[in-house]
Amino acid sequence: MATATRDTGTPERGRGAHIRHGLGERAMGRIFLTPSFAFMAVIALFPVFYAVLMSLYRIRGFTREFVGIDNYLQALSDPGFYNAALNTLVFTVASVSLEFVIGLGFALIMHQAFVGRGLTRAVILVPWVIPTAVAAQVWRYMFDHNPGFVNAVLGADINWLRDPAWSMAGIIAADVWKTAPFVALLLLAGLQTIPRDYYEAAKVDGAGVLQRFWSITLPLLRPAIVVALLFRTVDALRMFDFAYVFAGYSNSLATLSVYAQRFLVAEPQLGYANALSTVTFVIVMLVGLAFISRMGRHMVGETAREVKR
Amino acid sequence: MTTPEETVRARESVQEAHRPRRGAPPALAGLLKLLGLAVVLLWCLFPFIWMAMTSLRTGSVALTDPNILRGPFSLDNYDQVFDLGFQFALRNSLIVAAVTTLICIPVAALAGYALARLPLRGRFLLLAATLVATLFPPVALVNPLYQMYLELNALTGINLLNSYAGLVIPYVALTLPLSIFILATFFAGIPREIEESAKVDGATPFQAFWRVVAPLAAPGVGAAAILTFVYATNEFLLAFSFAPRDLNVQTVPVFIGTFERVGYENPIGQIMAASVLVSVPLIVFALVLQRRIVAGLTSGAVKG
Repeated sequence: MATATRDTGTPERGRGAHIRHGLGERAMGRIFLTPSFAFMAVIALFPVFYAVLMSLYRIRGFTREFVGIDNYLQALSDPGFYNAALNTLVFTVASVSLEFVIGLGFALIMHQAFVGRGLTRAVILVPWVIPTAVAAQVWRYMFDHNPGFVNAVLGADINWLRDPAWSMAGIIAADVWKTAPFVALLLLAGLQTIPRDYYEAAKVDGAGVLQRFWSITLPLLRPAIVVALLFRTVDALRMFDFAYVFAGYSNSLATLSVYAQRFLVAEPQLGYANALSTVTFVIVMLVGLAFISRMGRHMVGETAREVKR
Repeated sequence: MTTPEETVRARESVQEAHRPRRGAPPALAGLLKLLGLAVVLLWCLFPFIWMAMTSLRTGSVALTDPNILRGPFSLDNYDQVFDLGFQFALRNSLIVAAVTTLICIPVAALAGYALARLPLRGRFLLLAATLVATLFPPVALVNPLYQMYLELNALTGINLLNSYAGLVIPYVALTLPLSIFILATFFAGIPREIEESAKVDGATPFQAFWRVVAPLAAPGVGAAAILTFVYATNEFLLAFSFAPRDLNVQTVPVFIGTFERVGYENPIGQIMAASVLVSVPLIVFALVLQRRIVAGLTSGAVKG
C-alpha cells in the first residue's frame, strides 16, 4: 500500500541523479525485519505448534504414546478445568469492570485538577511498577487473619484466605488496586485529546455536567476505552500471579493459567498440560482478536497512514 | 499503549504554557478536586506504606496487632532476608531484565524502523500481526518450552532450565511485539524530510537510519526499553516454572511469591522487607524516567 507512493521496488543503486552506495531500502527492510520475526517465529510461534503436537500424546518421562484427542476429551470431562474456566471468567468480568469504572473516575479527577497533578501522575505509576507477585504477597498478608489489617479497617471478621468466595474477592481487589491506575493513565491520555472548545460550546448551549459527560466525553473517549479494555481483558484472562500466590494450585482460585501450569511440574502430565495451554491460548487469542477486529484497523492504520505521508 | 499518552502529555504541556489563567474556581469545587486527588494518592500509596511499616515491625506484635504504627521497630527483618540470600535474587532480576532489554530493544528498533519507513510488502498485515502477538498468553509458552528445554538437554547437553538464558530467551520473544509496535509508532512520527535531506546529501538508506533517525528516536527507544525492563522484572510464571529454587538464577518475583513458611513462624516481616527492597528502586526508577520521557517528548513535539 505504501509502496504505491514510494519506490517502485527497483534497486536504488545507480538510479536517479545521485548514486547511493550500500543497501537499497527494500533489501534493508527485509534485513531489519528478519531478526525480530525469526526470533518470534522460533521462540513463540513454533512452541504453539509444538504444544498442539504434544497435546496429542500421553507423555511420561521420555516415552510418549499417541492418544489423538484424548487429552482434550479429558479436559471436557474434568471438573477442575471447568472450575478454572469459571474462576477465570468471574475474575475477568469483575476485575475489568471495576478497573474501568475506578480508572475512569481517577482519570476524570486527574484531568480536572491543576494543583498536585504532577505529583499524582508520578505516584500513579507506583502500583504499576511493583511486580505483581510482590503486590500479591502484600495483599495476601493484608487480608490474612493475623494481623488482620483489612478486617480491622472494615471492622469485619472475614476469613479472606480460606473462604473461596472471599478469597476471589481478595484477588479481584488486589488486581483492581494494581491496574486501575494504569487504566486511568490510558483514559487520561484520551481525555486530553478532547478539545476544550467542545465543552465550552456545550456549556453555552446549556448542557449540564452529566449531559456533557454522556454526549462529549464518553463518545470521544471511545478509542481509549477500547484500548484499555483490550489490554485489561486479555491480561485478566491470562492471569497467574495473584491466583497462585494467594492459593497455590488450590481449586478455590485456580485460573486457566494456573491449572495448565499445574500439570507441568507439580503433577507432571505433559500431554494434558499442553492440551490445557493450547485451549487457554485459543481462548485468549479469540477474545483479543474480537477486540482488535473492532479497533485494530484504527490502531494499526494510524502508523500505516503516517508511513504513506 | 504508552505512546498516545506520552504524545498527549507533550502536547498538553505545550498547551498549558499557552493557556490563559482562569479565575480561581469556587472554593468548594477546588476542595473537592483536592479531595479527589487525595483519594488517588492514598489508593496508590497505602499498600506500599503498609508494606514498609510492616517490614519494620518485629516481634509477636507484628503478627497480632493490625495497627501498623505500634512497634517495636527494628531492621531485623532486613537482616534476615539478606541471610536468606535475597541479594542474589535482586542480582538475578537485574541481570535478566537488563540482558532482555539489551537484546530486545536494538532488534525491535530495526523492525520498528522497517515497519514505519521502509518499502515492505504487506506492511499492514505485519503491523497487525505484531499487535496480535502482544496478546500472547505466557502460559502457552511455558509447557512447550519446558519440554523443548528438556529435549534440548537430552540431545545436546545444553541445559536451559535454571539458567539466565532459559529466561531471557522467552522474555525477549514476549517483549518484542510491544516494543516493535511502540518503536514503529515513534519512527512514523519523525518527519520524513529529515531523512530525505540526509539522502540528498548523499547518505545511504542505512546511514540515514543510523546517523540521522536513530538518534532522534532516543525518547521512543527509552520508552520501549523501560516497558521491557519492567516486564522482565515483573514476570513470574516462566521464572517460577523454569528456575524455581536455585538461588543462582531465581528472580525476585519467585523469591517473594513462593516464600515459604519455615516451621510455624509467620514470615510476614521478611516478605515485606524483601518487597520494600525491590519496590523502592523500581519506584524511584519509574519516577525518574517518567520525567525524562516527558522531557524528551516535549522537545520532540516542539521541534516537530
